[in-house]
Amino acid sequence: MDTNAKTHQQWLQEMEAESRSKQTRFINGISEKLRRPMVSEPPRHPYRGAPDFWNAYEWSEEERIENFTSNFKSAGGHVERLATMDDAKRFITEKARSLSAKYVIRNKQPELDALKLESELPDARVSVWNEETTAGEGPLYWKARAAEADIGIVMADYAAAYTGSITVRSSKDKGRSVSLLPTVLIAIIPLERLKTRLGEIMVHFDEGGRENLPAGIHFISGPSRSADIENDLTIGVHGPGVVYALIVG
Amino acid sequence: MSGTGGHDHSGGATVKERADLALNNDFLRKAVKFTTERLKNGKLKAMEEHGNWEEWRERGKQIRLHTIAHLDYYLNQFTENARANGVHVHFADTAEEAVHISLSIAERKQAKSVVKSKSMVTEELHLNHALESIDVEAVETDLGEYIIQLAGETPSHIIIPAIHKNRYQIADLLSEDAGEKLEPDTSILAGYVRRKLRQKFLEADIGMTGCNFAIAETGSMVLFENEGNARMVTTVPRTQITLMGMERIIPSWSDLEVMATLLPRSATGQKLTVYMSGITGPRRSEDADGPDEMHIIIVDNGRSLQLGDPEFQELLNCIRCGACLNACPVYRHIGGHAYGGTYSGPIGAVLTPSLQKNVAEWDDIANASSLCGACYEACPVKIPLHEMLIYLRRRKIEAGHGDKIEAAGMKGFATVMSKSGRFNAVLKLGKFGQKLVARRGEIRIKVGPLKGWNSYRVTPSLPKKSFRDQWGTLEAEIRGGLQEMAPDVKSRMERIVKERANGAGGHGHGH
Repeated sequence: MDTNAKTHQQWLQEMEAESRSKQTRFINGISEKLRRPMVSEPPRHPYRGAPDFWNAYEWSEEERIENFTSNFKSAGGHVERLATMDDAKRFITEKARSLSAKYVIRNKQPELDALKLESELPDARVSVWNEETTAGEGPLYWKARAAEADIGIVMADYAAAYTGSITVRSSKDKGRSVSLLPTVLIAIIPLERLKTRLGEIMVHFDEGGRENLPAGIHFISGPSRSADIENDLTIGVHGPGVVYALIVG
Repeated sequence: MSGTGGHDHSGGATVKERADLALNNDFLRKAVKFTTERLKNGKLKAMEEHGNWEEWRERGKQIRLHTIAHLDYYLNQFTENARANGVHVHFADTAEEAVHISLSIAERKQAKSVVKSKSMVTEELHLNHALESIDVEAVETDLGEYIIQLAGETPSHIIIPAIHKNRYQIADLLSEDAGEKLEPDTSILAGYVRRKLRQKFLEADIGMTGCNFAIAETGSMVLFENEGNARMVTTVPRTQITLMGMERIIPSWSDLEVMATLLPRSATGQKLTVYMSGITGPRRSEDADGPDEMHIIIVDNGRSLQLGDPEFQELLNCIRCGACLNACPVYRHIGGHAYGGTYSGPIGAVLTPSLQKNVAEWDDIANASSLCGACYEACPVKIPLHEMLIYLRRRKIEAGHGDKIEAAGMKGFATVMSKSGRFNAVLKLGKFGQKLVARRGEIRIKVGPLKGWNSYRVTPSLPKKSFRDQWGTLEAEIRGGLQEMAPDVKSRMERIVKERANGAGGHGHGH
């Protein structure tokens, strides 16, 4: 195993050396076609991002809720407007019971810890993503937990009303699988994270820069869908077929 | 399987023969018409609802123009940042090289199976076929792609690849796959594919994707999709390979907002696809999902031929939305397979020959266009496809490959167009095409774009008028739906004709 790993590392290094020498030729070839020397200074980009009129566009809180709701619903999702996290807890436990959920998986986030779903749902096995276990479980274990789950529960990092989208960032405690593999997805959106435009979310990724980006950022705008068979809309093709967005606050 | 490329549909050597095939298939015609109509209307509605569409288009165009004009800088920046994220970046000049790198990784990983999300680049490379040649199972996981892979066919539409199959045909294919009878009911069929592919995702050694956009400043790659299969492919298997056309770059996430505004609305009329994912490197060591190892293969495969070519460079701006297909009266008549290449519709008509250097092998597909400008009008980044079609015809004729191809293609095509009611307009724009072929006041090349048509239909005589005189008439009569031609396009067209008049000679052809 050890020697194998080593030779794989060596192989990767060889590939990288090859890639680096190729890169020079490849990029120079492009400069040549563009009929000028390679540009090394960042070019001035006067058209960066959305037009100015758009960057000034903003909805009131009520408009954001209203538009998020109608967009998400028209994509086939469900939206609940709830006052407190207690209401969210009530909604989730009732939903899990009425669907007879046997397996639930949730991200390891303080807001979700506080819901105490593990004790509220004694009939279901509630897994907490990447929670430290004595067995020291790896990725295979956690992907399996998400794949078998009836319900996945996440906190949204942001949401955009204009497109009806929920944004989730991956981390040690936030699995990409949790919003993808279960049959039902429930995402809680704290009201203050609901923005008007996508650009209000994306600006954070530019400002934070490469080093602060997680491996996966996902915008989710409803249940998985396809119209590939005779243009007939099918819901739940690969991802969750039922998606609840709970706007709290 | 689908890796066999266009061969399954190349029964005819010319568009005419292939188009006859398509026209004989009544279902195909109806399905293509219905689907393109649905997508087109969806786009129109989304454009109207969003508002200021022209300003967004212009912004999208400017971002793409800027990026391509500085492609060396941005591609380098992307590469360095992706490496810093832990990605193994590779460069491939040709399809063969890209295939070689992909196979090396698969062999190194001792992979038994690869799950793929929809990628036009891998179609271009015939990668599935190559993987199977080393006994690696390649599974297309997009519902439509899975269906046509079972059928051993190629996509006929960039967004809806199985547009040409009805649910009875699909039920037969899937029943055979399942080893049991499946009813021709959409939810039953899709449910079967969900179960079947869920297994494949969980077992696969490698996930393979294309790339909608690559963000230079952060080294991220972005995927737009509705089903969730691209997320599966980039989340579950331990190794990810992404194949990316070298022109897929945009500078920043802010620029992505513009692309995210234009692409889904233009493709399907959605405000955003169900999933938009930005993947920045393999899983972090503390993460419990995402690939352990991530490769990005940057592919040229003929793209650089368009760089520095004033007539065709803007092709690199394409964001692969398919809006030009849905808008094109020709595509709607003959369907995607008649084009015989990886890319169909107006974009395919220009891109396919442009990706191949050999003029002699240029398909006659450039003739299968009404030059009505609907493709330009539909394009969210304003690529002047209809002009490029004229340039292509001119280059082909200048290279001495006009005669027999023109004759066969245009004659065959007249059959199609005679029914469309656009025929008159087409003929008139044909005059304009001839104008571009003409030099120093005379048509130097005897075989004009209307040659084939002349023998089939009587072409009205072409009155000799100055370009300026004709412009207004052409504008009003031919463009029809095109309210106004963009001033830059107009001035460029005028400049080309003027240069000709001044004997400026060749216009960048011959690479």
